[in-house]
Amino acid sequence: MTSRQIYWYLAPALLFTVVFFVFPILFVMYVDLHEWNGLGAMKFVGLDNFRFLFDDPSFKTATVNTIYWILAGIFLHTPLGLLLALILFKKPRGWKAFRLLFFLPNVISTTALAFLWYFVLHVSLGLVNNGLKVAGLTSWTHAWLSDPGTAVFANMVPFVLYVGFTMVIFLTQMSTISPDMYEAADIDGATSWQKDRYITIPLVKSAIGINIIFNTAFCLRMFEYPLLMTNGGPADSSLNLSLYIYREMITANRYGVSMAAGLVTILLGAVAMLLVFGVLRIGERRGLR
Amino acid sequence: MKGFRWLVIVLFLLVTLVPFLWLILASFKTSSELFSAPFKLPEHWSWDNYRSVLESHPIPKYFFNSLILAVSSTILAVAIATLVSYAFMYKFKFKPGLLLLITFGIFIPTNAFLVPYYFIVNWIGLYDSLAGVALVYAGVSLPLSILIVKTYMESIQHEILEASFIDGASVHRTFFNVILPISYPGMTTASIFLMITAWNELLFANLLTQSEGTRTLQVAIRFFLSTFSANYPVAFAAMVIAVLPTILIYSLLSEKIIGGLTAGAVK
Repeated sequence: MTSRQIYWYLAPALLFTVVFFVFPILFVMYVDLHEWNGLGAMKFVGLDNFRFLFDDPSFKTATVNTIYWILAGIFLHTPLGLLLALILFKKPRGWKAFRLLFFLPNVISTTALAFLWYFVLHVSLGLVNNGLKVAGLTSWTHAWLSDPGTAVFANMVPFVLYVGFTMVIFLTQMSTISPDMYEAADIDGATSWQKDRYITIPLVKSAIGINIIFNTAFCLRMFEYPLLMTNGGPADSSLNLSLYIYREMITANRYGVSMAAGLVTILLGAVAMLLVFGVLRIGERRGLR
Repeated sequence: MKGFRWLVIVLFLLVTLVPFLWLILASFKTSSELFSAPFKLPEHWSWDNYRSVLESHPIPKYFFNSLILAVSSTILAVAIATLVSYAFMYKFKFKPGLLLLITFGIFIPTNAFLVPYYFIVNWIGLYDSLAGVALVYAGVSLPLSILIVKTYMESIQHEILEASFIDGASVHRTFFNVILPISYPGMTTASIFLMITAWNELLFANLLTQSEGTRTLQVAIRFFLSTFSANYPVAFAAMVIAVLPTILIYSLLSEKIIGGLTAGAVK
C-alpha cells in the first residue's frame, strides 16, 4: 500500500524538524566553539567556552540548582499529585469542583504564579511571614527569597504545590481501572489504603512514568520562577541553567558561552531522561510491589 | 482515614485559593494600607488602582496577542502532526529512522536553542512579529503533538484504510473523509496541551518580540513588577485584570479542557 503521495504528508513535519531541531543542534555545536557577541565575526576558540563554564562558580550553582529542580519534580511534585488524585478518586463530596480548582493554576500561567508568590513570600508584606506573625510564630519568619540559603527552594514552592496537571493525568488513568477490582477487594475485606497500595498505584504505573517524564522536562526548562521571584539571586544562589543561558546571551552578549551552557543542558537532559527511563524499566520489571 | 483525606484537600485548597483572594483584596488597598495591615479589609473599596492600570496599559491588546498566538501555533502544530501521523499509517522506506528524527525533539530542553531560534526568526524576517513566535511555538511543540496524535491514530483499525481503497477512494480522500473525522479525540488532546503551553510561555515570547504591539500577556506581567514597583497595589490590580479573562474562559470551558485531556492522555 505504498504510495508516492504519502511523502506530501511527511514533508511539513520534516521541514519543521529540520528548521527547529536539526539545524539548531548543529548551530549550537558550531557556536559553542567560538567567541561571538552576536553581531561581528565569530572567532574560533576551541573548547575555551567550556573551560570558562567550569571555572565559573555561577555555572556550577546553576547546574546543581537545575538538578534540585528535577529532584523536586520527581520526589515532591509527582507524589503530591498522586496523593491528591488518590483522594479525589474516592469521589468525596464536591470532588469535581476540587478537581477544577486544583487545575486552575495551570491555565493562569507560571508567570502570573511567579508574580503572585513573589508577594506571598515577600519579607515584609508577604502572606507567609504575616501569617506566621499572626500565629505567634514570629521567630519562624524569614527573608525566604533574599537569603541565599533558601532562595532556590522558595522558588520551587509554587511549582511543588500546584499539582493540578499531574493530578489530572493520574485521575484519567485511574478512571480506566475496572470497578470489579475494588468490589473483589471489598469482599476480601481490604482497607482503603490496601486498595490504593495493591490495586490503584500498580495500575497507574504508566501515568507515574508519563508524569515523571513531563515534570523532568518541565524542570529542565524552568525559567519563570527563578527569573521573576529572585532573578537568580541573591548572589546567583537561585540561578538555574535556563536563566544562565539567557543571561549569557542577552546580558553578557557571550553567545558562545551561552550555547556551551546550552549543550551542557541538552546533555544533562539526556542523562536525566536515561536515568528516569532506566529506573522506570527496573520498576516495571519488579512490578512496583 | 477520612479525616486525613479532608485535611489534605483543605490544605491544598488553602494554598491554591488564599494567595489569589489576598491578591484581589490587596488590589483595592492603598500602598500604605498594604504595608501597615496586610490582612485587613481595605478601608474603602476604591477602583482607583484599576483605573490607573487601564489608563496606562493596553491589557486587552496583550490578551488578544496571547490568544492569537496560542490558537495559531496550536492549529499549525496539530495540522502538521495529523498529516504526518496519517503518513505513518502506511509502510514506506526509512520509516523507523524518520519516526526517530521527527520525535527525538521531545527530549531536548529547547531553552538551549535560544541563540539559533533568535537567528532563524530574524533570518526569515519575522522578528518582533506574532507570526515568528507562533512558528517557534509550533516547531517546539511539534514532537509532542506528533506523539499524541500518532498514538491515537495507531488505535484505528487498519482495515478501515483498505475498505476505503476498495471503495475506490484515493489516499487524499481517505485522509479527509475517513481518517480525519475519527481522529478528533487525539487532536483535541494535543490541542489542549499546546494551547496551555503556548498561553503560559514567557522565554521565547520575551526573546522574539520587542514592541508593545506584539507583547503577550506573560511578557506584560513580567513588566508589572518593574513598572509599578513604587505602588504594589496597582501592580496587583494589573495582575487581576490580566488573569481575569483567563479565569472566566476556564470557568466556562473547564470540563471541556479537563475532559479533552481525559480523552487521550492515557496511552
